Amino acid sequence: MRLALTALIIKEFQQTFRDKRMVGVLVVVPLLQLVVLGYSVNLDVNHVPTLVADEDRSVQSRELVAGLVAGDAFDQVGELATGQAALGAFEHGLASIVIVVPKGFGERVKRGAPAAVQVLVDGSDSNRAIVAQNAATAYMLGRAVALAQERIAQVARQRGFVPQIRPLRVEPRLLYNPALDSAIFFVPGVAATLLLIVTLIVTAMGLAREKESGTLEQVLVTPLTPTTLILGKTLPYAAIGLVDLGLVLAAGSWLFGVPLRGPLVVVFAAGLLYLLATLGLGLFLAAVVRNQQQALMAAFFVLLPGMLLSGFVTPIENMPTWLQPVTALNPVRHFVEVLRAVLLKGASFSDLTSQFVALAGIGITLFGAASYTLRRRLG
Amino acid sequence: MTAPGFAMEARDLRRSFGSERAVDGVTFGVRAGELYGLVGPDGAGKTTTVRMLVGLMAPDGGEVRLEAAGGAKAGSEAAREAVGYMPQQFSLYGDLSVGENLQFFGQLFGLTKTQRQERETRLLDVTRLGPFRDRRADALSGGMYKKLALACALLHHPKVLLLDEPTNGVDPVSRRELWDLLYEFVSEGMAVLLATPYMDEASRCHRVGLMHRGRLIAEDAPAALVRSFPHPALLLHATDRDGLERRLAGRPDVMALSPQGASLRVVVRASGQADFRAWFAAQVPDGTMEVVAPDFEDVFLGLSSAPREVAP
Repeated sequence: MRLALTALIIKEFQQTFRDKRMVGVLVVVPLLQLVVLGYSVNLDVNHVPTLVADEDRSVQSRELVAGLVAGDAFDQVGELATGQAALGAFEHGLASIVIVVPKGFGERVKRGAPAAVQVLVDGSDSNRAIVAQNAATAYMLGRAVALAQERIAQVARQRGFVPQIRPLRVEPRLLYNPALDSAIFFVPGVAATLLLIVTLIVTAMGLAREKESGTLEQVLVTPLTPTTLILGKTLPYAAIGLVDLGLVLAAGSWLFGVPLRGPLVVVFAAGLLYLLATLGLGLFLAAVVRNQQQALMAAFFVLLPGMLLSGFVTPIENMPTWLQPVTALNPVRHFVEVLRAVLLKGASFSDLTSQFVALAGIGITLFGAASYTLRRRLG
Repeated sequence: MTAPGFAMEARDLRRSFGSERAVDGVTFGVRAGELYGLVGPDGAGKTTTVRMLVGLMAPDGGEVRLEAAGGAKAGSEAAREAVGYMPQQFSLYGDLSVGENLQFFGQLFGLTKTQRQERETRLLDVTRLGPFRDRRADALSGGMYKKLALACALLHHPKVLLLDEPTNGVDPVSRRELWDLLYEFVSEGMAVLLATPYMDEASRCHRVGLMHRGRLIAEDAPAALVRSFPHPALLLHATDRDGLERRLAGRPDVMALSPQGASLRVVVRASGQADFRAWFAAQVPDGTMEVVAPDFEDVFLGLSSAPREVAP
């Protein structure tokens, strides 16, 4: 029934583009969300508000503190008279980290005796705390090495020889995302999630609306086959989904400098399989709900685990061992992996076989199950 | 039901929702060129019956055969080609125009472009919707909307037309237009089934089936049902009409009771007529009684106070 399918597709586009809100949902909202999420989902830890309790007030202590707050990582927001006040400062949210330099620090350094610096970290935001703690520790270690070198050189000069100091040098080189820019890492995740939201909600709501308004009955009394109906209800949104994918990638490149190092065709091939899964999920929800409200509720039940278990925000390796295999069933995870690999690393089909197999398997299963359920519910 | 020439036939249809038997063994048929009325109050099971006839709901028991489609079962592709259906509730795309709705459903029925244009023009003409071709369906009045729904149901020239309360929410003028259209189609040989709670509409059908609590309690031409109705209808006048109504309400020999102007219209069981007259003369001294010819509504109300439910 080519004619009936054409009729359904034309009708779907007529309805979609006549409804200004729908155009907003399908085109404006994805871009807006990309911008908002891209700028706000930022796990870079910079400009940590820092308080200093310099109880020593020596040249050495001032040097130590000045060096710490010189970079981007720590911003000194004030001083405390003593380390005792640190707890109060955390409770009032004045600082995330407090550096306490105890009395006698400068004297001990000069003498070459062991000296201690206390670093207090507000651990309530664990990610931020770990990053801040590591940065502070690394800085302090660097200072310690510098002090040790100075001391060795001093002793060597006193004994009359030139020291040969070659400390171990670490030279890290970051690949694919050298600036460690969160946005570049997140845009692929945001793109996958947006595609899920748009296609899932629109498909589920669209069919639920036809149920609610009674139009589905009038359609079902025509000689239309269920297959035609299912295709007519998904093909238009698959097309819109692919357009959205292009839009989001273009905006990601323009706004956040997300690169495209691999072939675009891989992205769209994976996108097509991914849409098979998301549209199938939408159809399935539409088959089991009665109205648009239920469709929306059900969609949110699916969206949240879909996003959280995708490795989009938290790495899958950090999830509990029993949960990790579950993420293999999540199409979002595989699509995010494909996007990251192609965009950032320039991967091609041959590098992504397992992801493509998984996406195809999940897509065909979901779409098949949805079609079967829908046929039974409608029949 | 051995009569030949049924275009559509239902045999022993049954359907329950939970423990409630919505349709409880309904058997009837509609002939080509016949206007059949499925009549009953809300909740009698009319809509459930129609939905099973059109194939939108699977019956728990029984079957629907469409002789008009070579004996196809309801809901099969052949049956859907032969049946037109106009549901009770809104069922067209409100955000599409009159013309777009007609085009869409015409395409779903597989009509060619020429067929579509020709039928659209004719249907817009007979329904007088021509000037509103570009208006959105949800901006139509109740009557115009129903006419559009009818036009959409007629696009594929069905042999059997099923209408579920088509005049619900329609103004009197549009209502008469709808009826004129129906008579026209029936005279052309279409089999039309109409579900309605209105007795005046039922009395205009060729044959009616009275539906009550999921069962067909009587079936015949409206005039024949009235003729064969054995129980008398009485018009009672009394100064205290409401008081009289209360006293009559519980009597087993009163089969139907409804106010009519300042009077009460009652249907009294034929076997108890003499006793009732005596009681009325003794108990309502200021009252008068007038025997009237039972009308179709009396018949329906009388029959639906089914004898099996009345205490002896």
